[in-house]
Amino acid sequence: MTKVEAIIQVSKLDSVKEALHEVGVEGMTVFEARGHGRQKGHTETYRGREYTVDLIPKVKLEIVCTDDMTEKIVQAIASAARTGKIGDGKIFVSRIDEAIRIRNDERGDGAL
Amino acid sequence: MSSVISVRNELRDLYATETAAIGREFLGGGDGRKALARRTAVVDTIVERLWRETFVGSASSPSSSIELTLGEQPKGLALIATGGYGRGCLFPHSDIDLLFLHSNEAAESDLKNGIRNLSQQLWDLRLKLSPGTRNLSECERLDPSNLEFAISLLDCRFVAGDRQLFLKLKEKIIPRMVARDCQSLIRNLAELTRSRHHKFGNTVFHLEPNVKDGPGGLRDCNVANWLALISAMEKLKAWPEASTLPLSSRRSLDSALDFEISVRCFLHYHHGRHDNTLTWEAQDEAATRRIGTPDAEIANAADWMRAYFGHVRSVHRICNQLLEEIPAARSLLYRQFQGWRSRIASNEFSVVDGLVFLQQPDGIRDPEKLLRLFHFVAEHGVKLSTTTEFKVEQALPALAATPPRGSELWLYLQETLVQRHAADALRSMSALRLLAILLPELQGIEALVVRDFYHRYTVDEHSFLAIENLHRLKETHSDGERRFAELLGEVEQPELLYLALLLHDSGKGVPEANHVEVGLELTDSCAERLDLDATDRETVRYLVGSHLEMSAAMRRDVFDPANVKLFSERVGTPERLKMLCLMTYADIKAVNPEAMTPWKADTLWQLYISCANYLSRSADERVHTHDAGYLGASNLAHLNSLAGVAGKRVKHFFEGMPQRYLRIHGVGDVLTHADMAAGLRPGGVQLDLKHVRHSYELTLVATDRPFLFASVSGALAGWGMNIVKANAFSNEAGIVVDTFYFTDRFRTLEMNLQEWDRLKQSIASVVKGEIDVERMLRDRAKSQKTTSAKVKVSTQIEFDDQCSAHSTLLQVLTQDAPGLLYRISSLLARHDCNIEIALIETEGQMAIDVFYLTSRSGKLSPELQRVLGIELRLELAPAPVIAATPKS
Repeated sequence: MTKVEAIIQVSKLDSVKEALHEVGVEGMTVFEARGHGRQKGHTETYRGREYTVDLIPKVKLEIVCTDDMTEKIVQAIASAARTGKIGDGKIFVSRIDEAIRIRNDERGDGAL
Repeated sequence: MSSVISVRNELRDLYATETAAIGREFLGGGDGRKALARRTAVVDTIVERLWRETFVGSASSPSSSIELTLGEQPKGLALIATGGYGRGCLFPHSDIDLLFLHSNEAAESDLKNGIRNLSQQLWDLRLKLSPGTRNLSECERLDPSNLEFAISLLDCRFVAGDRQLFLKLKEKIIPRMVARDCQSLIRNLAELTRSRHHKFGNTVFHLEPNVKDGPGGLRDCNVANWLALISAMEKLKAWPEASTLPLSSRRSLDSALDFEISVRCFLHYHHGRHDNTLTWEAQDEAATRRIGTPDAEIANAADWMRAYFGHVRSVHRICNQLLEEIPAARSLLYRQFQGWRSRIASNEFSVVDGLVFLQQPDGIRDPEKLLRLFHFVAEHGVKLSTTTEFKVEQALPALAATPPRGSELWLYLQETLVQRHAADALRSMSALRLLAILLPELQGIEALVVRDFYHRYTVDEHSFLAIENLHRLKETHSDGERRFAELLGEVEQPELLYLALLLHDSGKGVPEANHVEVGLELTDSCAERLDLDATDRETVRYLVGSHLEMSAAMRRDVFDPANVKLFSERVGTPERLKMLCLMTYADIKAVNPEAMTPWKADTLWQLYISCANYLSRSADERVHTHDAGYLGASNLAHLNSLAGVAGKRVKHFFEGMPQRYLRIHGVGDVLTHADMAAGLRPGGVQLDLKHVRHSYELTLVATDRPFLFASVSGALAGWGMNIVKANAFSNEAGIVVDTFYFTDRFRTLEMNLQEWDRLKQSIASVVKGEIDVERMLRDRAKSQKTTSAKVKVSTQIEFDDQCSAHSTLLQVLTQDAPGLLYRISSLLARHDCNIEIALIETEGQMAIDVFYLTSRSGKLSPELQRVLGIELRLELAPAPVIAATPKS
């Protein structure tokens, strides 16, 4: 099993979700996140006060999938979230040892 | 041993057979009380039988260490049912509260093994036993850390054992303990109840409520009865013969109790465990089975839930009233606070212990007095007393026949909506069915459950909560919320914002329809009912129709200038942007307590400031009637609507006018301005002065000339007026439309009607150069007291050449002061700067002035900007404090 974590632009969440549904992903966890990579912060002045946003709002998705689905998911996220500009985000892929469905203690791929 | 096993098997069979039969009977249409009574009787039978097997002298009772002859009961031990079991209300999966009562500690140690054995056997039968062992003296002591035990004794019932011992507990110990510790019991019970209510957001209107612990649930029914019982026992020093609750409360409670018992009983069967959550699935099934409402007309789950909320609401009301009315239920500090609040009484209403009473109860039939009552509630955060509620309910049928409407209703409603406790007043009006009479548009969302994964409350409660969220901003100490609180302080007509929040989800009352579209229809109907003027109606309509748009915009890239531009242009004006931002904030926050995360609040604020900046930096985009594609769709519609009325004259007037002008001014204003422009004579000036809400509005139409804006600002300052806001626009033909909003510090206009004309004449003379404005200001300065500013605002001056194709933007933020606008604008005029657009605002003690300037028909040169920057800084620098020279 594999865990795919993606940090994407807020505005791309709907299209990424749609792309994931199209490749057969039924469940995912979405977090409100903040951060920055090379896309640094943003400063805006309002009424004489400076508002600096060092950490830009992003969303983070987590999906745990069977190994054969990993590449499809990565491709779906990458193509749906890409604008070509700095700040599009990152995708991380890591191994998962075990999955357990709390309701009935089912384990492995069946628990996904 | 075989006898023990056979008894256990016999009891297990009995329990299983009876449990199944009770379940069948209940789900087949039986009532909850009957099911609970039958289950209590079964458990009584089992407990008594095991008691006999364990304690009563017999050949098979080896567990007791004391010697008993055949058939003899052990002395000094009684088995007592407490809590729900004691009341005879044993729910299918509830714990069985049993008290093993000893006469003294010696008896306790003698019977220890027997108690353990009996408990074990009950557990083996899968009965969820919750046993306690106490002696008499322990029962008499009130342990503040275990209030539940003392309260559970109020429902004690003899099951088996030493009856004399039980009677001693019931007749002597409990009355003595209650009489002695009454204050503490009530106070602790009240605190527990309030903290339980707080966990549920102090509202009954949850989409998936908890039937036992939620406000208005079964626990509250019990609390109401306990509070009444404890109060009565304190007075009588004994058990009262009957409930001391007023008859009307008793009837409501009994009826609610019947209903809620059936619902909870059903939930235990539905979930198959001790779960009291009325989930959506359970609501569907309960509605189909007509649980608790066999005779009512129930078409669907929403109808059934309305019946549910009707009952829990009355329980919640009675419980809260008792918590307010019983003196001991409040802390000393709270009592002092309420005592202080009693002083807020008026000649119509008195306040006793935080409850409002009518000075003349029959006068409440007067609709205006009724509306004043709820305004009083909204202003002071007090609750209606039982008698006041009763009187209001009596007055409702007559009111329903001829409900107040029009500007009279709006006058009271708007004054109520802007008060700090408006949401409480609205809840109270809704509970008494008054709100639905006044605003039938809200009928559809009353106690309405709309199944949405994120929403926690019914639609009406969500709307009240949204209003409450805005009012709470005024008291916030959090940095994140303070910025929204400041914004709220700047809103010119907060009552329209609150009305829009009240109506924003009204469309949800029509199932399957687009709730925004239906909401707009209901808003129109409500605006008609309240006789709102066209501009106010349009504002409320805009807010209701757009209440989801800012949330949607937050899901796009809020840093992308194209998105900011698109959204800003859709919003149109800074005032609408402020209201929409606050509406979005309040709406999201009212979805559930966790919905407005800091992440969302920051994103919303970022979008707001980006759009606010965009709107002030794009104000000079011009209207060109021949280039329809250049205009937004709404502007085009606006133009066409005007052209239809006044034809070419109007088109000619707004040719080349900034788009911002059309966004700020409604159709009526533009027609008036066009008429004023048409009536202009060479070198003349047209003036219009009117009172708008808390300020005056002076509109000036003239041909452009140097020092025009400065002269009028100076003249107003010379009259002692405080300019809080101003706009200045000009069209292609050089016609200037300047609007000044000012407050009348000395009430000159309010107290002297003839001064209206004199002010206009004075301004006209200043514009024509017939009066020296400098002299007016000098005269004013002589009589002016110098006051030091409470909040120091440092001056910031910024020039921007990028935001406009034609002009240079100058933004000045500085300490507000009399004559400030004159000083700035005359300095600009001295440098031959033409003010194309001026957007003047005041936020507390800060003046925020934005000017779009041209010099010789182009942008300001860098050199001119530098010089102006220096001179403005000098002009706006605080006056130096000169130390007094010591006398020689």
